[in-house]
Amino acid sequence: MTGDAFRPGPAGPGGLGDRAVPAGAAPILDQPFDSGTLYALRAAVQAHASQAGMPADRAGDMVLALHELAANAIRHGAGRGRLRMWHVAGTLSCEVLDDGAPDPDGRAGPGGPVKDPWPALYGHGLWLVRQVADRLELLSSPRGTRALVSFTLPPRDR
Amino acid sequence: VTVSADTVITDLGADDHACLTFGEREELLDLTAAFVRDGLAAGLRVVLVTQTPGQAVTRLARRGMAAEAAAADGQLVVTDGQDGLLAGSAFSAGHAMGWLRDELALSLRRGHAGLRVALDMGWALQPMTGIEELPALEEMIAAAVGGASLSALCAYDRDRFDPVTLASVTPWHSHSVAAPTYHADPVLRICRQYVPPGIRLAGELDFVAAESLAVALGEAIRMEGDVTVNMAALRFIDRSCARMIIDAARSLGDDRAVVLVCHPEVRGVFAHLDAASLPRLSLVTADDW
Repeated sequence: MTGDAFRPGPAGPGGLGDRAVPAGAAPILDQPFDSGTLYALRAAVQAHASQAGMPADRAGDMVLALHELAANAIRHGAGRGRLRMWHVAGTLSCEVLDDGAPDPDGRAGPGGPVKDPWPALYGHGLWLVRQVADRLELLSSPRGTRALVSFTLPPRDR
Repeated sequence: VTVSADTVITDLGADDHACLTFGEREELLDLTAAFVRDGLAAGLRVVLVTQTPGQAVTRLARRGMAAEAAAADGQLVVTDGQDGLLAGSAFSAGHAMGWLRDELALSLRRGHAGLRVALDMGWALQPMTGIEELPALEEMIAAAVGGASLSALCAYDRDRFDPVTLASVTPWHSHSVAAPTYHADPVLRICRQYVPPGIRLAGELDFVAAESLAVALGEAIRMEGDVTVNMAALRFIDRSCARMIIDAARSLGDDRAVVLVCHPEVRGVFAHLDAASLPRLSLVTADDW
């Protein structure tokens, strides 16, 4: 379940970062969260998804998926995190970080233990995210887990 | 008159004057349904004054009550109050009280043990002459209920009535009714539901409130019969809470069913978790509720 390192800028050939989030693209949403602000996070995701032209049912899927990723960050990670969303090339791409700060190299250090990954069993949060998202990639590092999830907008809105 | 706070609606007697200050429409519908159901079961004639008289019997029937039969034989009367409680678009406490006395006399003549009146006071929010007499009506009802086989439930929308009006009418009631509440904050409310028995969820529900949900589900399971989880006013549920509800349904015996009432966005979460595969669980669309 570990994907390529995701960086909001140039990444290796075929890496998710360079496809979904070009260098220099400004996020349309950048919001920290913890267990007391999930309601506000969901409201922000809903508003931005609708504003970008996402149909109501898929906007609901986005809210559910990003809530579950944020919930994983809270329950299995640092207890807080940060969500960023980009609108690029007909896709809404979101990054959820569970340590509240971007990991500059995106990989575990040579001696650093990788944290326990978020649970991805049947019926758990990541499993549900995979059911509703168009793409999900994860990277665990000693500093936490980062998830990149993307949802394709309908063609007429691209 | 002393208001006893938060009386359980099913404990109201045949000569009580109770006040319900509600915050959600489902709360009004459920507590009114319980009041009507218990009145019909006690052999009382029941008059329901509502702003949506055309839908009331259907709504009660959907909640499992024999409302059509009671309406057909006259034990249950549903009205918007325009030609009875009110005189057209005018209000007078004396006229309204006269209507109530006439209804009580009619109930007794027809052999009923008394009259039970459920009043959605929403009519008092309309432009109307004489509305300043509203506290006087409540005072008259308070004086009339004792020993007269007359009981009344006056329901006020706490968000639409101003605090001054509420303060002027609530002290005239012998009881203040409210559903037992397991969780209440600006985002989420979890209450007991009476008709049909179960729990009611409103707002947005996620793992942060899992403990409250567990308590509410546990209490609903310990009661007898089928369990309804009314999520008609729930906008969001996360996976962990949906899973708790499914697990609670799974823990019930084969002779008990679970009904989940929800809108499509909430229904979708249960569908992802394959809730429909449980033989004794059914998903009902909130629009049909």
